[in-house]
Amino acid sequence: MGLDTWSLVTVYEIVVFLVTVPLLIFGWLMGAKGKNPIRDAPFESGQTHLGEARQRYMMQYYPYLIMFIVFDVVAMFLFTWGLAFSGVPLTQDYLFLVFIAVLVAPLGYALYLSGRREFW
Amino acid sequence: MTCLQGLPTLQEIVNLVLRIITSRTFLEVVFFPGFLNVMLSAAFLTWLERKVIARVQLRIGPLYAGISGILQPIADGVKLMFKETIFPELADTKLLMLCALGLMLLAFAPAVAIPFGEGFVIANMDVGLVYVFAVLSLFPSVILLIGWASNSKYPFLGGLRSLFQQVAYEIPMWLSVLGIVMLTGTLNLTKIVEAQQRLWFVVPQVLGFAVFFTAALAELERTPFDLPEAETELVMGWMTELSGVPFMIGFLAMYTKLYVMSALITTLFLGGWSGPGFVPQPVWVLLKTFLVASVIVVIRGSFPRVRVDILLKTGWTRLLLLALVNILVTVALISFGLDWVWRI
Repeated sequence: MGLDTWSLVTVYEIVVFLVTVPLLIFGWLMGAKGKNPIRDAPFESGQTHLGEARQRYMMQYYPYLIMFIVFDVVAMFLFTWGLAFSGVPLTQDYLFLVFIAVLVAPLGYALYLSGRREFW
Repeated sequence: MTCLQGLPTLQEIVNLVLRIITSRTFLEVVFFPGFLNVMLSAAFLTWLERKVIARVQLRIGPLYAGISGILQPIADGVKLMFKETIFPELADTKLLMLCALGLMLLAFAPAVAIPFGEGFVIANMDVGLVYVFAVLSLFPSVILLIGWASNSKYPFLGGLRSLFQQVAYEIPMWLSVLGIVMLTGTLNLTKIVEAQQRLWFVVPQVLGFAVFFTAALAELERTPFDLPEAETELVMGWMTELSGVPFMIGFLAMYTKLYVMSALITTLFLGGWSGPGFVPQPVWVLLKTFLVASVIVVIRGSFPRVRVDILLKTGWTRLLLLALVNILVTVALISFGLDWVWRI
């Protein structure tokens, strides 16, 4: 069977799918069923639950999220650079180290700002 | 009758099915490096964790099912299959079931790229490393979705924490393996193992190993970074409202992830299948994997949990800086012409 790489991944995932779905259905069929308002309430440490959980929560670490969005892309660029690193003459690649250094400086400033709550 | 001429006979169909079932590819996908191996390894790891944690805490652990309780995971699985699947009244039941299915698919997906010997890998992909990272980075989203679908406060908080944790560990984790990518010039996991025949990457990349191991602990959501399911704060975190088979799947997914991550650490830093030849190559991979997993379990028995802000700050300052220093060390290694050791 000459299957290529991604077809094999698909076949493997189909096997997982074919095991999981019957398992879920089996559990649904074999388990006891019944209605009990107290048991079916969302768990809130034994208290009566206070409505929906889908409320607004405070995003305390928002600056980190912004930095993540920036550096996610940078990390991907670094991967392509790292792949090419061993193949090409070295002198061109030292310039990339300057690029990293230029990126780290604003990161340090952003971390400093995220530590000072009065700025955001 | 002419329309039936082109159809295969029963004998031909049986032959075809037999040929597929006995083919090497099918056996690999379903049995050894594939599905059953991952499932049984995850089950074995639950037993290993209970035994090791028990020794750490001066207990004995599971004892009665099989030899020193080794069949305990199977007994637990059968028990959970017959339990009632309870959903909280405000929950999105269909979404929860779909999330359980998606979690299972995701948890098993990265295992296809792990090489178990020379040419003994299900999917020998050129972008294996990126594939594994891509699949692993989808977990927090599914966990947040479970928290959302449960519509209960503890699971939702757990899901949000999982997302923040990803922000903290993901970039240091990627950058810590960049040194290996630079030394080998490939993302293919098989070739990365082949490059380690002379010297394992844990030696030249010791900083990268330290960063990757720490980030892997955060990725696995294990102590000291088990914030999404912090038992003392969030009951059971994102798994609070799961029960029956969905709970089993959540539990299994966590241990599958532990297995995959240990195997990945083995592949990247500990030489994969390389070792003295009197033991078969796949056994070396499994031995190293379980060794790494038991180290992770001992860490769970020894360390307290960190706070969210400390994790974020450590990830963005110390871990990231160490990963960048590791890249500089690698650049120096290559500049001094020492990279011939890991050329294939």
